[in-house]
Amino acid sequence: MDRFIRVLEEHVMPVAGRIAEQRHLQAIRDGIILSMPLLIIGSLFLIIGFLPIPGYNEWMAKWFGEHWLDKLLYPVGATFDIMALVVSFGVAYRLAEKYKVDALSAGAISLAAFLLATPYQVPFTPEGAKETIMVSGGIPVQWVGSKGLFVAMILAIVSTEIYRKIIQKNIVIQLPDGVPPAVARSFVALIPGAAVLGVVWVVRLILEVTPFESFHNIVSMLLNKPLSALGGSLFGAIVAVLLVQLLWSTGLHGAAIVGGVMGPIWLSLMDENRMVFQQNPNAELPNIITAQFFDLWIYIGGSGATLALALTMMLRARSRQLKNLGRLAIAPGIFNINEPITFGMPIVMNPLLIIPFILVPIVLVIVSYVAMATGLVAKPSGVAVPWTTPFIISGYLATGGKISGSILQIVNFFIAFAIYYPFLMIWDKQKAAEEQADATISGGAGTTHSM
Amino acid sequence: MNILLICAAGMSTSLLVTKMQEAAKERGIEANIWAVSADEAKSHFDQADVVLIGPQIRYKFAAFKKEGEARGIPVDVINPADYGRVNGAGVLDFALRLKK
Repeated sequence: MDRFIRVLEEHVMPVAGRIAEQRHLQAIRDGIILSMPLLIIGSLFLIIGFLPIPGYNEWMAKWFGEHWLDKLLYPVGATFDIMALVVSFGVAYRLAEKYKVDALSAGAISLAAFLLATPYQVPFTPEGAKETIMVSGGIPVQWVGSKGLFVAMILAIVSTEIYRKIIQKNIVIQLPDGVPPAVARSFVALIPGAAVLGVVWVVRLILEVTPFESFHNIVSMLLNKPLSALGGSLFGAIVAVLLVQLLWSTGLHGAAIVGGVMGPIWLSLMDENRMVFQQNPNAELPNIITAQFFDLWIYIGGSGATLALALTMMLRARSRQLKNLGRLAIAPGIFNINEPITFGMPIVMNPLLIIPFILVPIVLVIVSYVAMATGLVAKPSGVAVPWTTPFIISGYLATGGKISGSILQIVNFFIAFAIYYPFLMIWDKQKAAEEQADATISGGAGTTHSM
Repeated sequence: MNILLICAAGMSTSLLVTKMQEAAKERGIEANIWAVSADEAKSHFDQADVVLIGPQIRYKFAAFKKEGEARGIPVDVINPADYGRVNGAGVLDFALRLKK
C-alpha cells in the first residue's frame, strides 16, 4: 500500500499537474465556466415549465394562453441555445489573458471566426411539403448551441494562437507618434484579426467543395461522435471516476482536473437530453452520463460520496477527534463540499481510507447506470442543477421533477454508508487508542486534544 | 492586513475564511480575509498582502507564486491538516509568519 501511495505521488501527481496546468485545457475549462450561470438561469425556466403537477399544463394555459410554454422558454433559447457563442468568446478571452494579450479583442475575433465557420442556413419544412429545405438569412440555432461547442472551442484556440503570435511578433499597424495611444490601440487588432478571419474563410471555402460541406459537419463526425460515445459510456464513466478518486487520494482536486478535460463532452451530452426533454418531458432521453450524473448521484457530499461518512462519524465515532471532525464536516457536506474530510480525517495519502474512497464512487456509478439504463430511475433531464445543491432535492430537480431521482440518491447514500462503515470503525479504533495513550502519558484527567 | 485565499471554486476556502476572521477578531488583529476561485484569482492579487492556496490546487502553486513574485507578495500552500480541520487560528498564524 505504501508503494501504491508512492506511485501516486511520483507518477500520477506530476502528470495530473501538467494536464491541469496545460493552458489550452485551462482556457477551455474557464471558458465553459462562463456559460454555467446562464445554464442555471435557463434551467430555472425549464423547471417552471415542466412542474410535474397534474393539471398544471391546463391551468397555465388558462391563465397565460395556449402558447404559455413557448413564451416561458424564451430565456432557454438565450442561454442553452447560444452556449457555443458564449464559450467561443470565453475560451478565447481566457487564453489571451494567459498570453497577456488583449483578451477582449481576442474574444471578439474568436466569435467572428466561429460565425464565419457557420453557414447561415436554417432548415425549414414548408407546410404540406415532405422535404426540409435550407433557407438562408438566419444564424442557425442548431449550431450556436451545444452542437457547436467543439467547433467553438477549436476555433477559439486556433484564432487566439494566430492572434497572439502576430501580436507578439509585433506585426501591427504602426501609427505616427502624434496619434493618441487609444486610437493606436484600436488598430492593433486589425492585422491579426484579418489573418484569423482570412484563414477560417479559406478553410471554409475548401470544406464547401468536400463531402463534409462545413466545419460543423466534419467536427461532429470526427470529434463529437466518437468522444461522446466514449465519454457517455459506462466504461468511460468508471475510468473518469477512478481518475478523480486517484487524484483526490493524493490531495489534488480530481474533479476540477478530470472535469476540465471531460467538461465539454458531458455538457453536450447533457444538452442533448435537454433538447429532447423540452419537446416532451416524458420522452426516453438519449444519455445517462452527463455532468449531473456525477455531481448529483455519485458525489453525494463531495468527491467520494462522503456525506454518509461524515454523518456516521458525527453519530458513531468514539474518538473525540473524529467525532468533532464529523460535526465540522456535516454542514459543508450537505452542500457537497468535503475538504474537511479529505484533508482532515485525512483520506489523502491514507492507505486504509483510500480503499473505500475509490471503491464507493465506482460502485455508485455502476448502480446508478444500471438503474437508469433499465428505466427504473429517470435519467438526468438536462436541467442544470448547481453541484452544491443538497441531495434528494437535486435528484428531483435534475430529472425534471421525478421522485425516482431522489430515491436513487438515498439508495446511493446507504451504499456509501455500508462500504465506508467497516473502514471508519478500524480508523476510529486507532484514533481512540492514540487518544487513550496520549491521555495516559499526559496524566489522564481532562486533557483536551487540539483539533 | 489583506489575506487572499484561493481554491478550485472558492467554496471550501470560504469555510476557512470565517474561522480565520473569528481568530483575528479574538486577537484584535485588523484583517481583511476573502476567498476566490482559481480562475478569478489573478485580478485579486493587487489587493492582497499575502496569498494562500488550498492544498487541492497545489499544482497551480508555481503559476501563482510567479504572480506573487511580480508584485512582491508572499504566496504559499496551506498545510493540508490545518486545511482539513479548518484551523482558522493556525492558518492565520501561517499568514502572519509569511508576511514577515
